[in-house]
Amino acid sequence: MHETYGLLEYMPSVFRALGLTIWLSWLSLIIGAVGGLVLALMRTSGWRVLSVPALLYVEIFRSIPILIILFFFFYGAPLVLGINVSAFAAATAALSAHASALMTEVIRAGIESVGRGQWEAAQSSGMTYGQVMRHVVGPQSMQVILPPSVNIYIMILKESSIASIIGYVELTATGLLIREAHGGGFAILGIIAILYFIVCYAISLAGGALERRMKIAGSGLHMDGTR
Amino acid sequence: MTQAPVLKIDTLTKKFGSRTIIDGISMDVTPGEIVCLVGPSGTGKSTLLRCVNGLEDIQGGRIVFEDEPVRAHSKKIIDVRKRVGMIFQQFNLYPHLTARQNIVLAQVVVHGVDRRSATERADELLARVRLAHRADAYPARLSGGEQQRVAIARALATNPHMLMFDEPTSALDPETVGEVLAVMREIAEERRTMLVVTHEMRFAAEVGTRMVFMDQGKIVEEGVPRELLAQPRTERAQRFLQSIRH
Repeated sequence: MHETYGLLEYMPSVFRALGLTIWLSWLSLIIGAVGGLVLALMRTSGWRVLSVPALLYVEIFRSIPILIILFFFFYGAPLVLGINVSAFAAATAALSAHASALMTEVIRAGIESVGRGQWEAAQSSGMTYGQVMRHVVGPQSMQVILPPSVNIYIMILKESSIASIIGYVELTATGLLIREAHGGGFAILGIIAILYFIVCYAISLAGGALERRMKIAGSGLHMDGTR
Repeated sequence: MTQAPVLKIDTLTKKFGSRTIIDGISMDVTPGEIVCLVGPSGTGKSTLLRCVNGLEDIQGGRIVFEDEPVRAHSKKIIDVRKRVGMIFQQFNLYPHLTARQNIVLAQVVVHGVDRRSATERADELLARVRLAHRADAYPARLSGGEQQRVAIARALATNPHMLMFDEPTSALDPETVGEVLAVMREIAEERRTMLVVTHEMRFAAEVGTRMVFMDQGKIVEEGVPRELLAQPRTERAQRFLQSIRH
């Protein structure tokens, strides 16, 4: 009881660290989503010069452990490129690289879920590739893209804890530091775990709500018109 | 009063792999003509339409629409598609948009019409196809016949110079075929240029100005619909017309 009470004074730093964790994972998800979109468009372009590099990227970054990718950016990039990389930048790069590989496949599946008839109707009306994507295929693919994207975000948020290894003081690192300063004990780790859980569960709920709203917007039926 | 053709097709050849679907077809369509393409299924009628607006590339011959050569993957194909309206067997309405939004989209995105005029035009067309009361419904809530009427309104919205119908009533329940044909009749009365793939022989006879009978990728016979239907000259047309009368 006494141990837990003493932890209260650390709470401001814990919440600041939680903020950093959310910021790091959110930024990585955004970069990953943009990268994934570009790569998915390359994958579905039908041009081998574009689809093969995209495929290689996906296979490489989803097959290498995130920790190795992180070390590559943190220790490797300064050696190879001669630039200094901050722990935050390296963590963002590694998480974004991983997220974009996963998002590519999710977005590709979304694009491919839209039937050929939709493409043909839109193209027949004179739309360019970009207009078809933006106004017809994109909105319809969202229903397929959204649920797994929520999972990817939750995964990235948890994965962001590896940034603690290269000395970026996010939530996990903060917990470990407090534990040391406080002379061991598991209460602080319990608190950290609960915070991760609350945030991830909130994301999951928000994602579910968003999904339901989109279904209703699409007339309560599936967007491909099936019942 | 011979007018320059809107559409010129010259010895068109279309192959899927080694299979020849369209085998050297030539035909012209002049303004105001309503050409009905008939014949057994799998003889390339739908493929012919799809070649005309560049949904399919072609392996030989030439298609020219209003002085614009049609080439499937060229940038210029957009200029052709802007002037040709297409109605599909499966309607292909955009399921994430309401009936009204379906009709607004291409006007705004492709033709740069401002949203308010596009919406007015959509409502006017919905009234014409007798669906004003369904403007805010999503396609999944519409019957097949209603969806196809929205699709026709969508194609008309941008004032195309030619309309192409690809078996517009083949996917419909029998009781809704009539309402779609009625709308098509009204459009035909405006002397719009139409190219219609259909199995509705009565419609073709009453509305069409010319009937083209296709079989195995070739034009076998063509003429005034009533005459062709009453007295087909070729044996293949005779056989086909016999078979669909039963």
